[in-house]
Amino acid sequence: MFKRICLSVTCIFFFATPAFAKFNIAATLPWIGSIANEIGQDKVHVTSFVKPNQDPHFVAAKPSMILDVRKADILMYNGMDLEIGYLPVLVESSKNPKIQPGNPGNFDCSKFIDPIEVPTSVDRSMGDVHPQGNPHYQLSPKNILRVAEGIAVILSKTDPENAGFYMKNFSSFRKRLEKKQREWSAIPLRGKTFVAYHKFFEYLALELGFEIVGYIEPKPGIPPSASYVEKLVDMIRRAKPNAILSLSYYPQKEVKFLSEKTGVKGIIVPHDVGETEKVKDWFSLIDEVLKSLE
Amino acid sequence: MKTILIFIIIVFVFSSIGFAQTVEERIKTLEEALKKQEETIKELKSLQEILRKQEQTIQDQKEVIEKLKAEIKQQKAPEGAQEGAKQEKKEAPIAKDYRLDDRSRAIELKTAAPLSPLQITKQTTPGLLNPAIGLSLDGNYYYSNLSKSELKERNIPGYLFGIEREFHKGFNLREAELTFFAPVDPYFNLYATIPITEDGVELEEAYFVTTSLPAGFQLKGGKFKSGFGRLNAFHPHAWDFVDAPLPYRAFLGEEGLDEKGVQLTYLPNLPIYAILGFEALQGENSILYGPDAGSGVHAFTGFAKASLDFGSDHTLLFGWSVTGGKTKTDTVAPETQFSGTSTLYDAELTYKWKPSNQKSFIVQTEYLFRHQMGDLLSLSTLDVDSLKRNQDGWYIQALYQLGRWRFGARYDILSIFTDKYDLSGRKIYWGSRPYRLTGALEFNPTEFSRIRLQYNYGRSERNDKLNNEILLQIILAIGAHGAHPF
Repeated sequence: MFKRICLSVTCIFFFATPAFAKFNIAATLPWIGSIANEIGQDKVHVTSFVKPNQDPHFVAAKPSMILDVRKADILMYNGMDLEIGYLPVLVESSKNPKIQPGNPGNFDCSKFIDPIEVPTSVDRSMGDVHPQGNPHYQLSPKNILRVAEGIAVILSKTDPENAGFYMKNFSSFRKRLEKKQREWSAIPLRGKTFVAYHKFFEYLALELGFEIVGYIEPKPGIPPSASYVEKLVDMIRRAKPNAILSLSYYPQKEVKFLSEKTGVKGIIVPHDVGETEKVKDWFSLIDEVLKSLE
Repeated sequence: MKTILIFIIIVFVFSSIGFAQTVEERIKTLEEALKKQEETIKELKSLQEILRKQEQTIQDQKEVIEKLKAEIKQQKAPEGAQEGAKQEKKEAPIAKDYRLDDRSRAIELKTAAPLSPLQITKQTTPGLLNPAIGLSLDGNYYYSNLSKSELKERNIPGYLFGIEREFHKGFNLREAELTFFAPVDPYFNLYATIPITEDGVELEEAYFVTTSLPAGFQLKGGKFKSGFGRLNAFHPHAWDFVDAPLPYRAFLGEEGLDEKGVQLTYLPNLPIYAILGFEALQGENSILYGPDAGSGVHAFTGFAKASLDFGSDHTLLFGWSVTGGKTKTDTVAPETQFSGTSTLYDAELTYKWKPSNQKSFIVQTEYLFRHQMGDLLSLSTLDVDSLKRNQDGWYIQALYQLGRWRFGARYDILSIFTDKYDLSGRKIYWGSRPYRLTGALEFNPTEFSRIRLQYNYGRSERNDKLNNEILLQIILAIGAHGAHPF
């Protein structure tokens, strides 16, 4: 008798608890997904639909991405117009009211950062200049901390049952980041100079005290012509930077040529989570970036 | 009995599923539960701390706003500046919602020198409520070996008659296309596409799309390009070649199926992308339907499309569409008017390979079949014949992109499987299959500009005349960044 009652009580409890539904997060870039995972852990299911080896400026919308957005409770994106070429079409075609602009499920990470290089006037003759500032803030620990806090708060708001869990994860994220930041600022980068392919390292340079003295692109988003690369040879010889920085999705031809001509080494710096096996999450991304800059 | 009661209480209070058999274990469970609660309290405290911080931030921001307002009043600024200040005030709640760790910003604002009225206006009036506006220019240089009068008389016997060709020899300005977009409110988005040609202003598209229907439904209404087929919904400046392939031109015209009506689409929550659509249309397409064919809505469209990914680089899209309705048109043969019914079927398949931004390959193909039945009235003799047409067409195109260059090839043909033209029971043979071969070379300096050189080897007139066409096209876009179709 006793056993039977126990059994029935268990049964009632087992079936009365709603099936544990995970919170669906669709992220555009892998690093956003990585931070969402740090905060949400096993309470969330994260899909990031841009590949880590893909140029985030030129992502083509795919129907499978629409499917990810369709299922999302929250859509998280880099913002500052980086995804302008494909995200609006995904958002509308997803037919998902939760993630439409103006709703809490439409989460623009750049709302939490301190943008740099905000142009006072802009037109497209300047190349791919973003009106709200430099959109590549993913290597900035200072700004990522704010983004993580924003993610923790939005998750707590939309999934209040697990608010404590998210906030606890954020405070351990903060602690880990602060500890790591001491480690990172101990790396002797202050005063070093680099030439970069694209305006990708500006936030990090500002925080760690190194300098980007020139770019291989004549204007953001405009590939260099052969004659421009010739001019760069002189510039690099004069400036004597520590290295030439590029990213895996840019053509390697120019960097190789410049490196051979000037003797300055060329480095492919990882730019997003999952690009190589070592870059497992956002922390190891920064680790690897700084290791390659050393 | 007592044990059972205690048990139920424990279960109810702590909703723990574990079943302790001994007192020690029960105590253990209780202790564990207590610990958990303590943890929850801690978490709540940390939440409180964050809330407190946010409140502090809001307070700081309020102070800054008050200060700014006071400064503006002091300066007795002109009206424009006061408006600016009002807007700044309006922005505050948004900032409160979205900006968390904003103290540093507030401090920056506090320490900054007092803003001049001009600066305030500049900062706060970037036309926040204006729609996104874009303009694209589509022009070309056209050469053909045919004479001006030969070009004018061109048609596709058995298919299409009396449609004026778009391009003249020499310079052509196809259109300068204005696009507008903005959300109307939380429930609708509004789009308008207004091409300006030398003949005047057109309203190509003006439609709303709902954004808040549940369960994967979406409603579109107004005048829009139908979801029929693959190419139909693309604007000419987004085409992969200057002109439309033969089956589209023969069955729908260069402008495609662009109609007033409503469209309902449904995206079910499935592991693969699949979409279903239905449209009720006015039916004004001058080739397939005609504005006078029915007294009201007289055309309907249905489509089902799906997509699969193979790895991260390969995508396959495929679908079926059908559109049918009443027809009244004078494009069948000279000096005639046809009235009856038409049904057009379409099967589409697209394969995309995009391993990187530097390289991509796309193959796209569509097969169209038209079934038409009705009466053909001769306007000169007033004789009426019954007409039955079963005709089809097919095109296949491939595009290979390497960096900023892109190469394209296309083959389009009509009457591939069937060319039935029965006039009161008499089968009429109109001649050999119309077909064309096309090659194109594009240079895309940025995503906002495109220069295209295209060559057409044309045998679409069912006569001995070969039409060699060369087109040099330029497409430029300014203003708001348009959405790329997928």
